[in-house]
Amino acid sequence: MRRRLGLGFWLAASWIGLVLLAALLADLLPFPRYDETLAGPPQSGPSAAHPLGTDGLGRDVLSRVVYGARVSLGVGIGAVLLGLGIGAPLGILAGYRRKAADAVIMAVNDVAQAFPALVFALAVVAFAGASLRNVLIVLGVLGVPSWVRLIRGATLTFAEREFVLAARVLGTRDRRILWREIVPNVAVPAASYAFIGMAVVVVAEGSLAFLGLSVQAPQPTWGGLINEGRTLMETAPHVVLAPSVVMFLTVLSFNLVGDRLRAMTDVRESGLEPVRPAAAPALPAAPHPVHDVLLQVEELRTHFTTPRGLVKAVDGVSFTLERGKTLAIVGESGSGKSMLIRSILGLLPGTSVRGGHVYLSGDDLTAYGPAEMRSVLGLRLGTVFQDPMTALNPVRTIGAQVTEPLRVHLRMGRREARAEAVRLLASVGIPDPARMLRRYPHQLSGGMRQRVTIAMALSCRPDVLFADEPTTALDVTIQDQVLRLLHRLREERDMAVVLVSHDLSVVARWADEVIVMYAGKVVERGPAREVFARPRMPYTEALLQAAPRLTDPVHHRLRVIPGRPPDLVDLPPGCPFRARCPYARDRCATEPPPLFEDGPQHHQYACWFPRDPAPAEPGSTNDTAHTRADTGSTSDTTPTRPRPESTSGGAGPETVTGDAASGVESRGR
Amino acid sequence: MIVVHRLARLLVVLVVVTFLSFVLLNLLPGDPVTQILGLSATEEARAQLRRELGLDQPLLVRYLDWLGGLATGDFGTSYITRMPVGAELAERLPVTLELLIAAQLIALGLAVPVGVAAARRAGRALDQALTALSFALLSTPVFVLGVVLILLFAVTWQVVPATGWTPITLDLGWNLTSVILPAVTLGCGQFAVYARLLRTDLIATLQEDYITLARARGLSPRRILWRHALRPSAITLITAIGLNLGALIGGTVIIETLFGLPGIGRLIVDSIFSRDYLTVQGGVVLISVGYVVVNFAVDLVYAAVDPRIRRA
Repeated sequence: MRRRLGLGFWLAASWIGLVLLAALLADLLPFPRYDETLAGPPQSGPSAAHPLGTDGLGRDVLSRVVYGARVSLGVGIGAVLLGLGIGAPLGILAGYRRKAADAVIMAVNDVAQAFPALVFALAVVAFAGASLRNVLIVLGVLGVPSWVRLIRGATLTFAEREFVLAARVLGTRDRRILWREIVPNVAVPAASYAFIGMAVVVVAEGSLAFLGLSVQAPQPTWGGLINEGRTLMETAPHVVLAPSVVMFLTVLSFNLVGDRLRAMTDVRESGLEPVRPAAAPALPAAPHPVHDVLLQVEELRTHFTTPRGLVKAVDGVSFTLERGKTLAIVGESGSGKSMLIRSILGLLPGTSVRGGHVYLSGDDLTAYGPAEMRSVLGLRLGTVFQDPMTALNPVRTIGAQVTEPLRVHLRMGRREARAEAVRLLASVGIPDPARMLRRYPHQLSGGMRQRVTIAMALSCRPDVLFADEPTTALDVTIQDQVLRLLHRLREERDMAVVLVSHDLSVVARWADEVIVMYAGKVVERGPAREVFARPRMPYTEALLQAAPRLTDPVHHRLRVIPGRPPDLVDLPPGCPFRARCPYARDRCATEPPPLFEDGPQHHQYACWFPRDPAPAEPGSTNDTAHTRADTGSTSDTTPTRPRPESTSGGAGPETVTGDAASGVESRGR
Repeated sequence: MIVVHRLARLLVVLVVVTFLSFVLLNLLPGDPVTQILGLSATEEARAQLRRELGLDQPLLVRYLDWLGGLATGDFGTSYITRMPVGAELAERLPVTLELLIAAQLIALGLAVPVGVAAARRAGRALDQALTALSFALLSTPVFVLGVVLILLFAVTWQVVPATGWTPITLDLGWNLTSVILPAVTLGCGQFAVYARLLRTDLIATLQEDYITLARARGLSPRRILWRHALRPSAITLITAIGLNLGALIGGTVIIETLFGLPGIGRLIVDSIFSRDYLTVQGGVVLISVGYVVVNFAVDLVYAAVDPRIRRA
């Protein structure tokens, strides 16, 4: 508790306590009364007898400031309690009852807020008399509309929560729900706003006092002291500075306490503390030959330092890619596919450390500075993301967005860029491209938007196109159109394509080569045809079996991969998949498998006990095909009997499936 | 259509607010007659003055009479000074407006670059400094800040006059020196609010896919921040500016008092003290009209900033 609130909170709380205590005990403190004139020489500076000096009439400034605190804090606490006392019941009523009560209360509230508060306060205080009680009532009543709004908002969020709805369904009486469920939850935000409200009231009272409209002389108030003091500003500035500083510190303290209380209850703010990048050395890479290919990725690693520990999001990935080829990267969500793309492009958040090398036509991109990198991004490397709804800037026209790379990278003029943009949009199959340039993203369908983002990625004729799940967010019919488009453009422009997907049917159809990723590592790699026909790694096999097929019988139950992808923080030694692997044995728990290679097609896999290279029948529902794995196995992590749950289809294992598997399932229907 | 709707809303707000303030002012003890004649006047003299001023009429009649005049642009004649209220308001309004505009220019001129810079390197030194500074500025009552600024710039260094006002029609240079300190005082607190709002919204915008894609297209950080991220992050800021302007049309009284500026806020306060009802009413009208006009302007700016809002 103490640690989370921070030192500032305790300092602020101590200051408030100190001021409060001094105000309460003012009569007992060893200084002259606030109205005792000539307690010292007039306008004298701070001294031992008068720590804050004296004012124009020789009155002790410290004494006057302390007595002034009685008014400020009295009004501050009193007005907040009054506003809360009236506003909280109304706010809870409006938030919980909704409908009629809500409408009436909020309408009155709106008028109250439109009414000039200043005129109201001034008029009442000017005519009814400037007593402590009147000021307190006026400021308290003025605070009511804000309190109603705040409490109503807090109540609304809780009135819709499960535990309240459940209580309502169970027939619990409203009054009981209010007291048991709503009030305790609303109390926490209310407490934090009460402190902020006190800061507001102290300032408001000070403003009134400054105008001579608060408690009248001789009773000192902070605003009044500042108003008096400014006439002596040239000869005795301490008279005005002392109450100013005390007032500033007090308001600051109220704000700070309120803010820390709010931050403590606000999950988003306390949970997402910015993480400082650890001063980790650049990750070393083993020596390797640089090939004469378009794109070569060598031992690429991306590690994040998080409050929980080191996360190896990408851990030693290597591949090469030639012109005119498509490389597919597959894996479940969280396997590091997207992070691999961002790592290649150097688009990582500040909390990450990257290691390894990325060669584009032999040039090492990891050695590039930000400016050099910008001369490659967009120009030679194009990028398309998953969700076309978020990939376009909502406030800029399509034309501004499509022409921008042309103008920045290719230095085209306005007219030339527009003409090229029209050609580009036409080439991705957008009807009436000239009119399209004037439109905004929200006026387009998802498929059209994805075509626009593809057109933007291709605008500078890149050598490599990175497509991160380019069709996942689209309708099935649109998916096919977009993939055909990508394929056609690859052929036309002789590009290389890196296609990230968890949809194996997409990969099987369009990719030349496949990389299967699991927990940041490559677990299988090879020509697409070969990998899908003869998966060697059990994870790949499971992915294939989890994919729906049109040839499946109508009521065929999809297999799912049991368990979840592992937590990347403090990954245990050994094979990362072993906890979910039906064939795991002792060795899998101790030694991480390296990438083995066999066959003439450079089929690689990271598994100690690979599946039979003989042609398998993916998608087969026949379990006996897999039972060979338990020959004498004594695994201590998982039952050796291979996946009885995946065919039995019981509810238990299905509820704990990894999200890619369940995602595939839902998409297949 | 929208304009008609707006006008109707303006009229409703105007009638409700002016009626409430009319009633409020008349319910409170003390009246202009006592203010003019003093406590020792005879009852006949008081009655006669009441008749002359029309104060013997029922409240509702007086209100409707005043409202009818307002419809023809007549704000009425002050009971106290016997001068037309409209002329007085017209003389005071430019002072408050100039103060407001200057304060907003200062606040925004600082808040936008500082907010952008803080968001660009969130969590770093500049960002943390901004957080601390804005917290401190938000906790400084405007009269405290004003006193400190006067102490520094007018008393100690004597670069600007402490108080007083030179109209812009008289001398531009002196006008600027008389507006700069009050405008800075007023603008500081708003700078803190604006910079915080912009920073928070910008940081959220910078997480968006379209920003990552803009980086993937090799655009410079400067271009991404100013051309891509700023506009989608500005909605909350515009709302805050609108609320501020609306609230400040009558709310600059502290600044006007502190710096001796003859603005609307000061006029309203003085008129309340002298029971000059009709002048107060005139001020209330200005505040209400300003409130609605600013809201309308804010909606127009929304539509200009975010095309998704244009449809309605």
